[in-house]
Amino acid sequence: MMDETFINSYRSPQLSKNWLLNLNPLNKINIYIALGLITLFFQHWQVNVVITLVFILLAVAAGRFKSFISPFLKLGLVIGPFFFIVRAIFWPGENMIFNYGIINITQEGIDLGIQYATIMLVVCGILVLCTVTIKAEDLTYSLEKIGVPHNISFMILSSLQLIIDLKDKTNVIMDSQRSRGIETEGNVFVRIKAFVPVLSPLFLGAISGAEEKTIAMDARAFSSANPNTHLRFLRPTPALEKILVILVDILILGLIILGVVL
Amino acid sequence: MSYIELKNVSYRYPLAETDALKNINYAFEEGKLYGIIGENGGGKTTFCDLIKGLIPSFYGGDLTGEVFIKGKEIREWESSALASTIGYIFQNPFTQISGIKETVFEEIALGLENLGVEREEIIDRVTSVVRQLKIEHLIKNNPNKLSGGQRQRVAFASIIAMETDILVIDEPTSQLDPKGTSDIFEIIHLLKEQGKTILLVEHKIDLIAEYADEVLVIKQGELITNGKTSDVFSNVNLLNEGVNIPQIALLSNDMKEQGKPFDTFAITRSQAREQILKKGSEKICH
Ligand SMILES: Nc1ncnc2c1ncn2[C@@H]1O[C@H](COP(=O)(O)OP(=O)(O)OP(=O)(O)O)[C@@H](O)[C@H]1O
Ligand SMILES: [Mg+2]
Repeated sequence: MMDETFINSYRSPQLSKNWLLNLNPLNKINIYIALGLITLFFQHWQVNVVITLVFILLAVAAGRFKSFISPFLKLGLVIGPFFFIVRAIFWPGENMIFNYGIINITQEGIDLGIQYATIMLVVCGILVLCTVTIKAEDLTYSLEKIGVPHNISFMILSSLQLIIDLKDKTNVIMDSQRSRGIETEGNVFVRIKAFVPVLSPLFLGAISGAEEKTIAMDARAFSSANPNTHLRFLRPTPALEKILVILVDILILGLIILGVVL
Repeated sequence: MSYIELKNVSYRYPLAETDALKNINYAFEEGKLYGIIGENGGGKTTFCDLIKGLIPSFYGGDLTGEVFIKGKEIREWESSALASTIGYIFQNPFTQISGIKETVFEEIALGLENLGVEREEIIDRVTSVVRQLKIEHLIKNNPNKLSGGQRQRVAFASIIAMETDILVIDEPTSQLDPKGTSDIFEIIHLLKEQGKTILLVEHKIDLIAEYADEVLVIKQGELITNGKTSDVFSNVNLLNEGVNIPQIALLSNDMKEQGKPFDTFAITRSQAREQILKKGSEKICH
């Protein structure tokens, strides 16, 4: 049986019940980045934390908290502390706290470390929020609408897909490693040891796959000179949404000016 | 004028020591179904790649001789124009899925989007191939998570939705079960009825015997035999060339050797049945 409702869904914009998810992808990115920009002008780690919290709230508002929080924590807890340590250990300063060889911990270093680490949380927040609230294809479609060439949007889409492919394939190979009794769980070193031998077949596979994919895309008239059309329907941005985005931008601009003046 | 014509075509892959295609001459006519058979590594896929314009532009290597598609030399074709003239369904179904679409329905629509077809027409055409290929149950699925056989059908659907005049099909049923195989052949038959010119590589010899108008046998890069399907298969010496021959053709040959040949050399079951029934009734009459 053909699912007529599903087919009809392509005849009108494919909206979800969530207002945030329904925003135009570029508007979402606009809002996220504008929020992120605030951090650069305030230079207070407390502000960075507040903005990170706002991102978490946005994920909740989009009904995507579950898919947001786990990658966010994984990414944030690796990158944040990394920047903290690098800054804290090597930054020169007046107020020495600890010194041993090249390790040189100062109060200024620690302050800067916290500053950097929290900015990284904000960056991770933006990235993860984009991935959980924006469909890649809607993004590239809206980019094409503002004049980005078709092959660039294809490159974006296929590199995203390549990442997913590589992740799937790694899991398959790791599973087979495990079934052969090779340790793949445990501390970082065990994991790295299990991962390294997987890398070369993984990348060789990806490269030869890319060649065939080029042929496959050619067979689908990818290089066609005609301007391409879209099956998916991107809704024209409603006036209310435009106003919302402009308001948010003005508000944030105001905050930034405030931050610079203060 | 021939639809597709090869004149003294030889081709060698980069760094290879021998030619993958050796001095091939052939003229394909419009609206016929050509079966291309031969042992593994013979050059069938290379032949398909050549017609599709991937040789030498994509693979490099040395191509000599000339290939004309609809009267125009292949090196003069724009690759985009060629894409809307020749549909190519290739051997490995796993790399034929674009990987950038979220549903099978959108995957099938991709070629049409690239050709610039309007949304309503895309929906109509995709819906109709989905029906033809009996994949209604798959349209909402993620194309990256299909089985080999399902992918093969989706790949097939994606290409026939583009409605090209020529179809080059390389082993479309390698991943399919018997039901899937006969479904695909039904569609290939239908496409032929619609006037498409079809080049079909297939190892399942009974299907070639039943559906192909003409057969080309390729061995070690050479076109060793060609002609009307029934003529090609009536030559049982082909067995020595590593080519399979339909059981029915062998039976017809046995009858001939027994001194009781069929009136016409049968290569398919229905032809044989007809002949046997005819012989039977002749006997009764005598
Ligand atoms: N990309 C390539 N580079 C170099 N040599 C190749 C390449 N592809 C195929 N060949 C060689 O060309 C010859 C013909 O290969 P081809 O794939 O055309 O055979 P085939 O008839 O399609 O075989 P099969 O029935 O297994 O699909 C083989 O000897 C093969 O090793
Ligand atoms: Mg082949």
